[in-house]
Amino acid sequence: MALLAVENVYKSFQGFLALAGVSLEVAEGSFHALVGPNGAGKTTLFNVITGRFPPDRGSVIFQGKPITGWPTHRVARLGLAISFQRAQPFASMKVREAVTLARLGYAGATFHLLRPLGAFTEALDAAREALAKVGLEDQADRRVSELPLGDLKRLDVAMALVAKPKLLLLDEPLAGLSRAERRRMVGFIRELLRREGVTLLFTEHDTEAVLELADRITVLHQGRVLVEGNPEEIRHDVQVRAAFLGGTA
Amino acid sequence: MRLGLLFLGLLLLGPILSEYGLKLVSEALILGLYAMAFNLLFHQAGLLSFGQAAFFGVGAYAMALLVSRAGWPFLATLPVAVLASALVAFIIGFLSIRLTRIYFTMLTLAFAQLLYAVAHKWYAFTGGDNGITDLRPAGILGESLPFYYLTLLLFALGVGFLAALERSPFGYALRGLRDNRARAEAVGVDGFRHLLLAFVLSGALSGVAGFLQGALQRSVFPDYLFWTRSAEAIISTILGGSGVFLGPAVGAAAFLFLRVLVQANTEYWPFFLGLLLLVMVLFFPRGLAGVWENLAGWVARGVRRGAAGG
Repeated sequence: MALLAVENVYKSFQGFLALAGVSLEVAEGSFHALVGPNGAGKTTLFNVITGRFPPDRGSVIFQGKPITGWPTHRVARLGLAISFQRAQPFASMKVREAVTLARLGYAGATFHLLRPLGAFTEALDAAREALAKVGLEDQADRRVSELPLGDLKRLDVAMALVAKPKLLLLDEPLAGLSRAERRRMVGFIRELLRREGVTLLFTEHDTEAVLELADRITVLHQGRVLVEGNPEEIRHDVQVRAAFLGGTA
Repeated sequence: MRLGLLFLGLLLLGPILSEYGLKLVSEALILGLYAMAFNLLFHQAGLLSFGQAAFFGVGAYAMALLVSRAGWPFLATLPVAVLASALVAFIIGFLSIRLTRIYFTMLTLAFAQLLYAVAHKWYAFTGGDNGITDLRPAGILGESLPFYYLTLLLFALGVGFLAALERSPFGYALRGLRDNRARAEAVGVDGFRHLLLAFVLSGALSGVAGFLQGALQRSVFPDYLFWTRSAEAIISTILGGSGVFLGPAVGAAAFLFLRVLVQANTEYWPFFLGLLLLVMVLFFPRGLAGVWENLAGWVARGVRRGAAGG
């Protein structure tokens, strides 16, 4: 059984059909890439999966459980974590605080009104561990607003990892990063997530990185699944070449 | 620690103050608590409520009605005042929080004005614009000094609670929602329920302030619910600085003392207030508390530079 199944999902915005019947299955333990030109519907699909808005039609099933239309916070608590394309973690906090809050959020444990955040040792330990995984442990006491973009991206990933997610969604994890940072992030994703046994669904424009990371690739084009296959198949697919060269398939 | 020193100072101040001084400082503490309650929403949660008067007024009217119509002892009405203002905040919050920004602000204003209209017109129940008068608490709390200590106690409890809240997971969750709501919800924080609880807590504390103000003034009028009363919380917060924890309370004290000072000498209080707010917003956006912090910073740096130079 697939960890995540998206079935025949439609979503339109003011007449623009962003998703036109997308179906997708993410197998447990796989690294699944979602690629396609801008406007193909990748981010919209992520937003439907995480409950930022409900689909017009179709369903989303996570671990065999229908979660279509669930609010974002409930989806997150199931172990479906996301790191956003535009990483803007909580700017008024310190790095450690942002990750600790995330940990308590996933556990539904933020309704403590009198105990200070610093007394939640389990969450603090989990935050320290997550920060160590992304290599930000020595930045824990810095203000989030002082971090450069590359560190913000890694912090945002730590805020997802601290959930110990079953499924991690990464929306363009390499966007805006320098060449060196890209290499680092790719290495990090491959080694860390494999070791942790996290299933990954990600979008990325960097074709090289996609072919290196993914073991399954779904190509979206104009809100539809153009083709799906392993990296070798996708590399030689005529339709994909046509779509990315701007022609019609 | 610093809060403890502040409360101790205010405690020792009591016996020194004149009758008039006690009333003035009591009023400053009440307005301070009210502004701090407003700032829980404004600074921490990023919600601009223009309807805080609703909860202030409900707290005051709950006290006044029970004392004057049902003969309850003054202090016994406190739990009812808190619950009534919390309940009204729950209802208004439930209906307003789904809206964002200016729509939220306008809706809170509309609800407060609705309650004002009810209090103003319902003579049989609220006494209409005649208000409810003769509310001097029976016994020792009718005296200025004991009343000052009651006010100080409730102020300290309220501010202590807000200080704990700011450092708690709940306080951080509110900040997370303010900083980036989508991110906060994606880490499992239920935005609506957090904001609603913050709204209810803010309403309950505002109700405590109204409860005290009614007793201090010995009367409650519909203007307790009027929008200018909501504006007082906002003005105090701007004056004192929303980004510093005690800023709103500092602003409330400054607001009252300036009003007394200006009104004693001229008739142009609103003009001076407007001028002051203009200067604060344009040149000192972090408020009086922010100015204080800047000064302290300069002094500290100056001392260090002086030491290095010498």
